[in-house]
Amino acid sequence: MNRTLAWVGLLARLVTGGVWIVAGGLKVTEPDASIAAVRAYQLLPSSVAEAVGIALPAVELVIGLALVIGVFTRGAAVLSALLFVAFIVGIASVWARGIEIDCGCFGGGGSKAGATSDYPWEIARDAALLVASLFVAWLGHTRLALDSVLFKRRSAPLAEIPEGAEN
Amino acid sequence: MSANSKANARAQKAAEMRAAQARRENRRRILTIAAVLAVMVTIVGGAIAISVLNKDEVKAVAAGSSDYGVSIGDKDAPHTVIIYEDFLCPFCGELEAATRDDLAKLAADGKVFVEYRPFDLLSRLGDYPIRATSAFALVLEKSGPEVAKKFHDLLYENQPSEQDPDAATNDDLVDLAVEAGATESDVRDGIENVSHKSWVTRATKEAIGSGVSGTPTVIVDGKAFDEGTTVDDRARRLIAAVD
Repeated sequence: MNRTLAWVGLLARLVTGGVWIVAGGLKVTEPDASIAAVRAYQLLPSSVAEAVGIALPAVELVIGLALVIGVFTRGAAVLSALLFVAFIVGIASVWARGIEIDCGCFGGGGSKAGATSDYPWEIARDAALLVASLFVAWLGHTRLALDSVLFKRRSAPLAEIPEGAEN
Repeated sequence: MSANSKANARAQKAAEMRAAQARRENRRRILTIAAVLAVMVTIVGGAIAISVLNKDEVKAVAAGSSDYGVSIGDKDAPHTVIIYEDFLCPFCGELEAATRDDLAKLAADGKVFVEYRPFDLLSRLGDYPIRATSAFALVLEKSGPEVAKKFHDLLYENQPSEQDPDAATNDDLVDLAVEAGATESDVRDGIENVSHKSWVTRATKEAIGSGVSGTPTVIVDGKAFDEGTTVDDRARRLIAAVD
């Protein structure tokens, strides 16, 4: 059972991490669009929106890499989950305020007519990825993670002390 | 030495070795964590650097000196505002509605010089931005800036949705131009033939060349003005900044 879970954990890591890498990678080279996408949510003051617009893609990229490679798996998964919660709150908030925008999840962003019909599916997608992140965080140890090489507990190979060595 | 004390000494030595081993383990662990963190910080830093290098600074042609806009107020007013906009962009329409009257009043009072610079950002959604901007250029040429400004206002008041931009037909544009004060015989042919398409291309080139990558891009006294969260908040701050 645990073995199966560890493989499922690997799958969850790869899917979630892959999504982050794509999302971050597409936005890293498009800072103006990214900042505009954050502004379009009309939640953050302008200067904060600018900082978030620039930092978020970088953070997404690193979380994605960490999850895919499996380094600091648990920490990366917790951060990933927190970000998904933030995105769900963001999308729910524009939905509730009747603002129609492209979520800017994978680049783009800004106003978009008819976006309201996309919100449920975007929230569902983020919720699914949130669950995957929480699962990885709960599991901690998954298959093929660099963590297990880096942080292997070497079972202390105590040197045999020869009988009467003190003599 | 008794067998007992030998055993004790052995046990003690083993414990020491275990402790040393544990210390080594611990040090290795901390170094590994530090190394991984360093790599992560490098990646974040690198990605942020890439973003910052890719960021466009808006360096707009000074207010009043562009060939592609219509202005209100006195050119020597203490403040200048340049608004780059697309006739289809809904935020532009909202910002228009929220600022027009105040800006017009401040311009009339000699406090601010405002230049509206329409260009084509959204023609991927339909050719309305090109048709509307071309019509604007035509009206500006035939009927002068006052009528063009009125036409500009009417275009925003009758803005089609991004979902169906071409719901606004050329006939609609002619009607609005006439309502603004243009003579129908002056503008009908030009609007139907999109006569000022090259004007739109040049205006768009100037806007993009100035680093404008979205609309509305507002420039107050030569600097990009990004303050505010909501459109209303932004409008309030803009008015406060130039009053």
